[in-house]
Amino acid sequence: MADDDEDLDLNSLSDDELVEQMWDDLYDGLADEITQGTNILLERGWQPYDVLTKALVEGMRIVGIDFRDGILFVPEVLLAANSMKAGMAILRPLLAETGAPKMGKMVIGTVKGDIHDIGKNLVSMMMEGAGFEVVDLGINNPVESYLEAIEEHQPDILGMSALLTTTMPYMKVVIDTLKEKGMREDYIVMVGGAPLNEEFGREIGADAYCRDAAVAVETAKELIARRHNKGPSLEAAG
Amino acid sequence: MEDGTEGKEAMQARGGGRRRSGGGAEARRQKRRSGAAQQYKFITRRLAPFEVLSEEGLSLIEENAETILEEVGVNIVEDEETLALFKDAGADVKGERVRFPRGLLRSLIATAPAEFVQHARNPERSVTIGGPNLVFAPVYGPPFYRSLDEGRRYATIEDFRNLVKLAYQSPALHHSGGTVCEPVDLPVNKRHLDMVFSHIKYSDKPFMGSVTHPDRAADTVEMAKVLFGESFVDENCVLISLINVNSPLTYDSTMLGALKTYARAGQACIVAPFILAGAMAPVTPAGVLAQTLAEGMVGIALTQILRPGAPVVFGSFASSMSMQSGAPTFGTPEPALVLYGFTQLARRLGVPCRSGGSLCGSKLPDAQAAAESAQTLLPSLLGGVNFVLHAAGWLEGGLVSSPEKLVMDADQLGMMQTMSQGIDLSENGQALDAIREVGPGSHFLGCQHTQANFETAFYRSTMADNNSFEQWEAEGSKDTYQRASERWKQMLTEYEAPALDPALEEALTEFMVKKKQAMPDAFT
Repeated sequence: MADDDEDLDLNSLSDDELVEQMWDDLYDGLADEITQGTNILLERGWQPYDVLTKALVEGMRIVGIDFRDGILFVPEVLLAANSMKAGMAILRPLLAETGAPKMGKMVIGTVKGDIHDIGKNLVSMMMEGAGFEVVDLGINNPVESYLEAIEEHQPDILGMSALLTTTMPYMKVVIDTLKEKGMREDYIVMVGGAPLNEEFGREIGADAYCRDAAVAVETAKELIARRHNKGPSLEAAG
Repeated sequence: MEDGTEGKEAMQARGGGRRRSGGGAEARRQKRRSGAAQQYKFITRRLAPFEVLSEEGLSLIEENAETILEEVGVNIVEDEETLALFKDAGADVKGERVRFPRGLLRSLIATAPAEFVQHARNPERSVTIGGPNLVFAPVYGPPFYRSLDEGRRYATIEDFRNLVKLAYQSPALHHSGGTVCEPVDLPVNKRHLDMVFSHIKYSDKPFMGSVTHPDRAADTVEMAKVLFGESFVDENCVLISLINVNSPLTYDSTMLGALKTYARAGQACIVAPFILAGAMAPVTPAGVLAQTLAEGMVGIALTQILRPGAPVVFGSFASSMSMQSGAPTFGTPEPALVLYGFTQLARRLGVPCRSGGSLCGSKLPDAQAAAESAQTLLPSLLGGVNFVLHAAGWLEGGLVSSPEKLVMDADQLGMMQTMSQGIDLSENGQALDAIREVGPGSHFLGCQHTQANFETAFYRSTMADNNSFEQWEAEGSKDTYQRASERWKQMLTEYEAPALDPALEEALTEFMVKKKQAMPDAFT
């Protein structure tokens, strides 16, 4: 950290300057600065939802683009996502109070028999980084764990992960159980893991197969937007 | 011969008349055209292994491994029995975390053999694993299959059988391997039966066992007993199986269950930390090596606690990573350095080692695949690896098995066979007679020494096209991928199964049918 950085007083910046500085601070993975910036905007009377979308989500959008283009490295994106989480920790209760629209909530876990969770952890971090609320069920989840978590947390998205060909068929068991219970259409189901592909995702009845964490975030945003837009007028227009 | 150019000697030979030692045109055509080259014996290297670490460096890494085991320890997940075994052996067990006093594991490992024989059903195909020996086995584990004609799709048991046949027909593959592709079309709880049976029926080379559940490991041992006889299996190694450590520093109950089943049966395990450096271990080679040694010693020691003297192999799968995407990368210099250091550590531990292969990240058997595979294969030979899994058929970071890649790699393996023998310094190798005979000027093509040696003097590639431009063009301007596609299909049409005693085949089939009937298809 260069010395002149310490001289930068976020309070001295105008709103626009501060927001732009927060984009850079997210990019640089500076969690403390994001916490500070978030608090300053709130003190200045910003709506929590505006802080979320204009400062944090927009900043992470820039991070996402440079990650996709190979400019940013994975460890840098993890730092950025952690900084985003620091801001979210302040905003989440306020967002709930004000009844602001939500980015979405995801329940995620590796399926029964599979304890390989590095990929799933990356998806969790990136989803949180994009402003989603993530309930991480960890590893080795039987269908009952998913059902309990769905019941308790009422997510928009159910995410399942598997690294092994011997465990990936279990995703279908979970989806079939949701169908049997008449719950399948209530949730977006996203699946991922090295031995999967598009065809597999379709065959087991998932809404999407996501090849990596960045794609998972993009897909989640798109599917949630599609869901919100599912009014008759829009469908007619589309 | 239809055009009437057939030689006199050939006619005599065919007619059963007086034969000269040369045998004539037909005999030589037979010998040179047939794709069925003689099976190579496993490699016994004459080259000294290439080493990258000094005594000081090795000691440092070994000390670091002991520090990891003492301070950090490993997690043994959902396996009370293993926790108890380690506790009894002197480890410090707190919950799932097991820490080891310095030197404990190394002393337990002292009973492991430095080399052992894995028997094949054809005794000529048995392999010695360890010491100066090197065994090549095909790709292991891919869920997908790619061929020139069909593109990329999920693998099936039919693909599995074909890959076993191709490995059987490839002289430089000494081993039939294990999960040459994952037959995704079969139920998870039954596919191991068909896989083991395919190795037994379609090949007579040694093979690997199922590890996806302790019961499936037990089924594999049962099938081996049908094939080899119960007492033979108890006293000899006929199976080798791949036990991956769930790096970092974690052993899961599935892998431990399979390890315990095989070790108790006196069958070999390859204990292999699976490391994509950056994700499952630090990014530096010295860090990867210390963690690999720490992790490996835990599983190796467990085999010796269960059955002192049980055959066991120290494995290392270590790749680098694209830090921009998280994808594993292959053929890069850092994993090669890890491989060289790893083989040194394994030799000092006194157990055979497994690493390397023909690894690549490429989607197709293209230039990237060839370059990266070569950059992994050559270190496998030079480093002194004893068991090289994934030696042929691997694409796309191990997600894809490819028959074209398999025949391309098998060609390269043949080259390693020659390379491993170093320089022949015999009288014939020195060739002074040839130089005396030819003298200045002239040429060596006709001299006696060349006549005596030409056929085997240079490795003849089965894949490379070194013809003139015009001939290459006249033959369809085919690239390697196309030539490889033609080659494996030709091999399958020429394939003849090795003889298997019908009574044994029936007994094995009966075992499988009974097992399959005893349980419903399952998803895990």
